[in-house]
Amino acid sequence: MRNRIVTIVLAVGLLFSLGALLAGHHGMRLPGNQQGYAPRQPIAFSHRLHAGELQISCFYCHYAAQTSRHAGIPAASICMNCHRFVTAPLGAIRAEDEQAKQEKRKPRRVVSAEIQKIYDALALDADLKPIPGKARVPIAWIKVHNLPDFVYFDHRAHITAGVACQRCHGAVETMERVFQVESLAMGWCVNCHRKVNAIGVGGRRVHAPTDCATCHY
Amino acid sequence: MSEKQRKRYWMSLRQRDDAGAYMEAAGDEFSEVPDPAEKGLDRRGFLKAAGFSFGGMLVAGCTRAPVHKAIPFLVQPEDVVPGRATWYASTCGACPAGCGLLVKNRDGRPIKLEGNPDHPLSRGGLCAVGQASILGLYDSHRLRHPVQGGKQTDWAGVDKAITARLDAVRKQGGAVRFLSGTIASPTAARVIGAFLASFEDARHITYEPLSCSAILDAHARTHGVRVLPHYRFDRARLIVAFEADFLGTWISPVEFTAGYRAGRQPEGDPAAFSEHVQFESRYSLTGGKADKRYCIAPEAVRPILYRLAVRVAALAGMPAPGAGAGGESAIPVAEVDGLAERLWEARGRSLVVCGSQEIATQVLCNFINHALGNYGRTLELATPSQQNRADDAALQALLKELAGGRVRALLVHGVNPVLDLPGGEAVAKAIAAVPLVISFAARMDETARHAHFVCPDHHYLESWGDAEPVRGIVSFFQPVIAPLGETRALVESLAVWSGTPRGARELLAETWPDQAFRERTLHDGYAVVQREAVPAGAFRAGEIEPVRAVCAGDDALTLALYAKVGMFDGRHAYNPWLHELPDPVTKAVWDNYACLSPGAAQRLGVAQGDVVRIQPAGDEAAPAIELPVLVQPGQHDDLVAVALGYGAAETARFGHVGPTWLHDRPTVGPNGLVGTNAAPLLMFAGGTLRRCGRRVRLVPTGRRHVLALTQEHHTITVPQRLAPEGGLRRENIRETTLAALRANAASRPHAAAHERRDDLWPDDHPYTGHHWGMVIDLTACTGCGACVIACQVENNIPVVGKDEVRRNREMHWMRIDRYYSDTGATPDMVHQPMMCQQCDHAPCETVCPVLATVHSEEGLNQQVYNRCVGTRYCSNNCPYKVRRFNWFNYPRNDVLENMTLNPDVTVRSRGVMEKCSFCVQRIQEAKFEARRRGVALADGDIRPACQQSCPAGAIVFGDLNDPKSRLSRLIAGGRHYRVLEELNVRPTVGYLRVVRNRPQTEDHVDHG
Repeated sequence: MRNRIVTIVLAVGLLFSLGALLAGHHGMRLPGNQQGYAPRQPIAFSHRLHAGELQISCFYCHYAAQTSRHAGIPAASICMNCHRFVTAPLGAIRAEDEQAKQEKRKPRRVVSAEIQKIYDALALDADLKPIPGKARVPIAWIKVHNLPDFVYFDHRAHITAGVACQRCHGAVETMERVFQVESLAMGWCVNCHRKVNAIGVGGRRVHAPTDCATCHY
Repeated sequence: MSEKQRKRYWMSLRQRDDAGAYMEAAGDEFSEVPDPAEKGLDRRGFLKAAGFSFGGMLVAGCTRAPVHKAIPFLVQPEDVVPGRATWYASTCGACPAGCGLLVKNRDGRPIKLEGNPDHPLSRGGLCAVGQASILGLYDSHRLRHPVQGGKQTDWAGVDKAITARLDAVRKQGGAVRFLSGTIASPTAARVIGAFLASFEDARHITYEPLSCSAILDAHARTHGVRVLPHYRFDRARLIVAFEADFLGTWISPVEFTAGYRAGRQPEGDPAAFSEHVQFESRYSLTGGKADKRYCIAPEAVRPILYRLAVRVAALAGMPAPGAGAGGESAIPVAEVDGLAERLWEARGRSLVVCGSQEIATQVLCNFINHALGNYGRTLELATPSQQNRADDAALQALLKELAGGRVRALLVHGVNPVLDLPGGEAVAKAIAAVPLVISFAARMDETARHAHFVCPDHHYLESWGDAEPVRGIVSFFQPVIAPLGETRALVESLAVWSGTPRGARELLAETWPDQAFRERTLHDGYAVVQREAVPAGAFRAGEIEPVRAVCAGDDALTLALYAKVGMFDGRHAYNPWLHELPDPVTKAVWDNYACLSPGAAQRLGVAQGDVVRIQPAGDEAAPAIELPVLVQPGQHDDLVAVALGYGAAETARFGHVGPTWLHDRPTVGPNGLVGTNAAPLLMFAGGTLRRCGRRVRLVPTGRRHVLALTQEHHTITVPQRLAPEGGLRRENIRETTLAALRANAASRPHAAAHERRDDLWPDDHPYTGHHWGMVIDLTACTGCGACVIACQVENNIPVVGKDEVRRNREMHWMRIDRYYSDTGATPDMVHQPMMCQQCDHAPCETVCPVLATVHSEEGLNQQVYNRCVGTRYCSNNCPYKVRRFNWFNYPRNDVLENMTLNPDVTVRSRGVMEKCSFCVQRIQEAKFEARRRGVALADGDIRPACQQSCPAGAIVFGDLNDPKSRLSRLIAGGRHYRVLEELNVRPTVGYLRVVRNRPQTEDHVDHG
């Protein structure tokens, strides 16, 4: 009986270690590493369109990145700065204009399904009039880049040092749906800190501390 | 220097009397105090526990990583940036002292209160009570709705019912009484006045559990105005205090500490260092700071004051006050006469204060100050203090009216008469008989339970308001969060019932119509306004009543009811932080007790922890209370001292504070509450509510009550056998006298650099950037504990409960060691704040098997929680005993209370070690912010929580690498030393030795 228990325990242990070994070799990740994580967001916001095609600065929406630890997820009011006027793709609006001309009527306001979601959140109708009795519901975005627990990361320090957003977040301006490019593991952080201490950032000498208390407190 | 001459320091009587056994016990850091009632864990219990933990681990291990949501605002508010704190200037409402506040808001919720450095009274400090009062905002037991007849209701219904019933009272012309604590707010005073003016027979009665009524009454008699003078400790060169704990609990301790400190600067040029003489019966924190402390019986105050008055009058060429007020002096007459002469020399720059509740005694005190010409200099009557406006005579009259059934309507705000007045039962009965009782209590306290309506007032962080703690110094309250419940400001309720509904902000604007003034005051946090001076009449001492004969020779003791620094008058009894703050003098937590001197305890045959019955002598029918004994050195032998503010009904919630495990025991006592209410032993006499003077008999009950005292925990005294070979054994506390310091400074300039010795470790930390360090001035430190609570709030330190504290497991990162030393008639007391010393050669680092504690390039000794596996080797190897181990996941079940958690600091989980981090989150924030703004980090930019809150400015943090920093200058000064320096661990925290203004010859002086 006793021997059997020992055997079972050993076998489980062996399987577990084998699993870990395989994981290391075949691109599988350790628990907590969400590299490649690309959750579906409540609104199909395209970074490719906004940051890539339209060249809107990252800091327009992620307004806190230069001044705070957090980059900040934009409030719906920031979306509305543009989407008060931009309601649908140009093609859809032109098509409606065309159709209205044919049907000899005034063109209707076209609102794309995704932009309608912003209006819904703010309890506005298509003409941006508040809908009486409707509650405003904040948009619950899914966080893509989750740091492990017990880590304090500061966007402000990195942007002040001249680190490009893409260094950690990948080429977001090319992503239709954002995914996590890097592992965000501590080794990855520390490697970069060591590297920039040697070669600097953009030709500028920087001091990237590798003390524990830089991030852990 | 021979051992004999050396001043001996000891932390407890046990250490003094039986050092061997004490050191034996102290050697084991993780030892627990054995408790005979406790059984070991049997096999079955162990298997059950093991099975449950294994099962729990399996369940916990199987959960998936959670999906994190990021939910932004819908409409972005201006100035709100996630992750950045916003600061608002406000006023502390934790007590009527009205200190200036800066409220730190994160993401729309206040998380930390700090002193406003610009405020003219508090000068940047904030006491422990003020620091902890933020928890009151997030107290889930607070009333969130108005209550009518014990049932929750809404404001419209309450207003309708109250208005109708008040109208009826108005028509009948019945008596309306508004009972409140001190109201220092001009707006509230105006609104209450307007409300009461609509009734024929209405009065506003003010009382305070810690009443200063006698001082006001005495000034009414001597100066013709019933005011409390504004004491200026900063201007006094000689301070003589009688039974006044002005650095701890008396009137405005933060302001007085700042002033006291300003007048005691050993290094100033010319050095201004006041002399402080304290006469007191129990050992107070203020007595610990005194240069000369006389331990006297409370009855001896008046004869000594009388003798002083006679001598000062003679020196001033004035007629002596009254006749027959004499009595035998408890201390040699020559010393009193000498003191009178010194007072006369320092006339106009001296200050005599007295905490007595006897009007005649206070009149004597006024006489002395008048004869010395101190009025207008060290005591200001023209701009008096409004921090305590108690009127005990009016209170007594009200109680008579209540008992007579004359009062038709009673409104109670900010006080709890059923709990904190003598004869609480009778008061409760009388209140219950009043046809209309309205309470504004925030919690269902003892008085609110008898009220027909409870109309909860806002927490002070939720409402608009103003305060004028000292005439002419105005500050505003501003809401920093929307009210968490359906509460309403007092002034709004009264305005509604007066038929003129207005918001608190409008009412504030009516008091201060100038908008620019309001905006400036809100911005600065205070304003100085011109007020006409209070017209004080010519001085008139009048007749002084003769001293009551003391029935000496009986076996009774005199009772002194006092306020603890943490609990104040008990108005924050809901606050677990304050309960767990070790009392600065006794170092006890979560209890009140009967303090007896060692002599008295011996005479009565009781030991620490024995429960005694305190029975008023000669009055067997009077209420008695039962309390455990605590033996307190330095107290008068004829005295038993008991703290007020305990035994409140709202402490019943602490039954289950702290971790739940096999051996846990409740924090509350046998009565289901924390401590026992001592208010039944208060008495009315001579027109004032007396806390002191009652004669009581102590009867042992034979029961015992375990007290949790931290005084012997974490001792750092090195046992003789472990002392380094041939090494110089230095005391942890070093003292000097002012005269010796000056003589030394003149003859031998202090070597700036401390000696560096050879050691085993390579110099692998060059500290090329910053090198953080700290200096704590023990001359300034009063031991008040503000830093301990500030640290607790800032660093998310859990409350562990009484049983865990008893087991040496308190979690405070900072402790304040209290040492006695046994020269002279009464022991001296010194406080030494002790936290991680951030050693350059930290012994903890070398023993950690997983590198969870390592050194940073800026000299910080870092603790990495997620690496720590909990071996506790580091703590074992720490000579300063400043590391704390998380034995449990301390419960944080109260979601609302968790709103105070600092989002910049990790909440540690079970099994990891933690300790002071020098507030590294503040260091990082300041560095990042300086870099972002492209400026260099300036000296003083970084202030850890302890430094920020210190009312005495005793703590200085800075960069050792910057020779111009304040820190470096203090180190180079003559008073700097390091604790346990002989171990060569190179701590970066240093201390400045205690300076007492004494003749050089009196004590041994360590020249270092």
